[in-house]
Amino acid sequence: MNGLTGNEAVVMKNVCKDFKVLNRHEGLKGSIRDLFSRDYKTVSAVKDVSMTVNRGEIIGYLGPNGAGKSTTIKMMTGVLEPTSGEILVNGKVPYKNRTENCENIGVVFGQRSQLWWALPLVESFKLLRDIYMVPQKDYEGMIELYRSLVDLESILHKPVRQMSLGQRTLSDILAAFIHNPPVVFLDEPTIGLDVSMKAKIRELILGLNKEKNTTVILTTHDMGDVDALCRRIVIIDKGMKIYDNDIDHLKNYFGSYRTLKLKLADDTWEEMLIDEKTTDVMDVIMARQKETKIKDVKILEISTEDVIKKIYEGSSK
Amino acid sequence: MNLKRLLSLTRVGIMSSLQFRLGTFVTLFANLIYLVLVYYLWKAIYASSGTDVVNGMTFSDTMIYLILATALFNFLENFVVWDMSRSIQSGKIALDLLKPMRFRKYTFWSYTGNHVVQFVLTFIPTFIIVMIVTKGAINLGLNLLWFIIATVLALVINYNIEMMVAPICLFTESTWGINIVKETIVLLLSGASIPLAFFPEKARMIVQYLPFRAVYDIPLSMLLGKSGSDTWQGLVSLFGLQLIWLAVLTIAGNIFWNCAVKKVTVNGG
Repeated sequence: MNGLTGNEAVVMKNVCKDFKVLNRHEGLKGSIRDLFSRDYKTVSAVKDVSMTVNRGEIIGYLGPNGAGKSTTIKMMTGVLEPTSGEILVNGKVPYKNRTENCENIGVVFGQRSQLWWALPLVESFKLLRDIYMVPQKDYEGMIELYRSLVDLESILHKPVRQMSLGQRTLSDILAAFIHNPPVVFLDEPTIGLDVSMKAKIRELILGLNKEKNTTVILTTHDMGDVDALCRRIVIIDKGMKIYDNDIDHLKNYFGSYRTLKLKLADDTWEEMLIDEKTTDVMDVIMARQKETKIKDVKILEISTEDVIKKIYEGSSK
Repeated sequence: MNLKRLLSLTRVGIMSSLQFRLGTFVTLFANLIYLVLVYYLWKAIYASSGTDVVNGMTFSDTMIYLILATALFNFLENFVVWDMSRSIQSGKIALDLLKPMRFRKYTFWSYTGNHVVQFVLTFIPTFIIVMIVTKGAINLGLNLLWFIIATVLALVINYNIEMMVAPICLFTESTWGINIVKETIVLLLSGASIPLAFFPEKARMIVQYLPFRAVYDIPLSMLLGKSGSDTWQGLVSLFGLQLIWLAVLTIAGNIFWNCAVKKVTVNGG
């Protein structure tokens, strides 16, 4: 590929991924028919996606369920081969040099664990140290860094199977960074976690990104993650890239939208999203006031969550 | 080749296996029941044959063979096919594919620790019990060395047979049936359930050259000094058969895996 500056961690060019899926039929008869069916259809999971991620960036890779996020991640990690297009991670084609590529990436799938379930966390760390051939000095340095970022003592000697989901996710993230990879993929790392654990994990990711200048590619459905971590987001839907820019730009994009919150007589808050270009906020308040008593009014800038919702809704029309 | 990686994987495997020590005791107990069954079955067979020696094996020869075959089975048993089909169904395979080692090698070495534990906890005790009960019917000499070498080869061959079946899961998403068929074939044709000496002449001619024999029959023959393993010529031909199948299955397994891995779609998420 031409025009690379050498500062790119990940480059994707016109990447497509098709899956061949058997057309399944309904019912018992259909199931039996499927045994001999050659009736395949092609499903395009990713269509012509191009993007560049620079070193040290944390990007939010967003999209509704089934948009093709995980497929993209799996192509970047080398597990899947793209049907067409080019991918370079750390300057190499991931699926052609899979084992080599694996030495230079870290991966966390929020719903799965790569840790050794029966053993204390420290054993998983030691094994990963040996598998990735991390020099002892670097390993100790990394453990020191972990100590400064999280309360390591409480989990280091705990068997993984006894951990809470939050502790396990935290441990998985630490495990993904142990060989100090230049690029880390985090696939929904905060899924199912409570508020304080989410905050801890975000702090950890930010801390590791800052200390080691690690490029982080993050997929999530939690806009809190995006607000806390990402300056740039890429959104895909139905396999196509529909947005790729700064998060601030995103808000300008929907700059005329306001969140209007009304406190009603029964002390509940009513929330609505209003486009000031088409609707006047005051009109809405007045119309509502005729129906019920309003105790308090708040007008807020649109939240990231609402912006993303708008984009998802917009693209699915 | 980085030895530290492999030793580290083995070490973790040993530690993991030791977490499930109850399983080992249950295995020993289940073996006991199975062996009682085998004992009475073969006792009946020998009683009905009217002679003490059937197909060149006495009753105690057969029993020693079958007891050690059972112990060897516990030691060689691995769950490559089950584990792989489960990790394909759950999508966990992605994490294993993302290790900086070749997948086949990584998987093999993550099982070695378990084999070591099983060898120490099931095979050695069984062997000692057999020695005590039979008052030293097994010769302790060079045959032990041949046995150990043959067992290590058998371990790799067995893994390769498993790895010929496991990737089928990438195409079918389920291997339950195929695995049952494979287990039955291996146990029957390897001589683990019936000594090969009892096979009909023609069947034995064929089975003798199949890879399954290299897993159970050859190591046990070496230990017991049968099948000509007490002569140099016999040893060379037995090891030769093991090595040929080792090479064939490794190459074929590699090719099959490299084709199959392209089929990975990875479920979920």
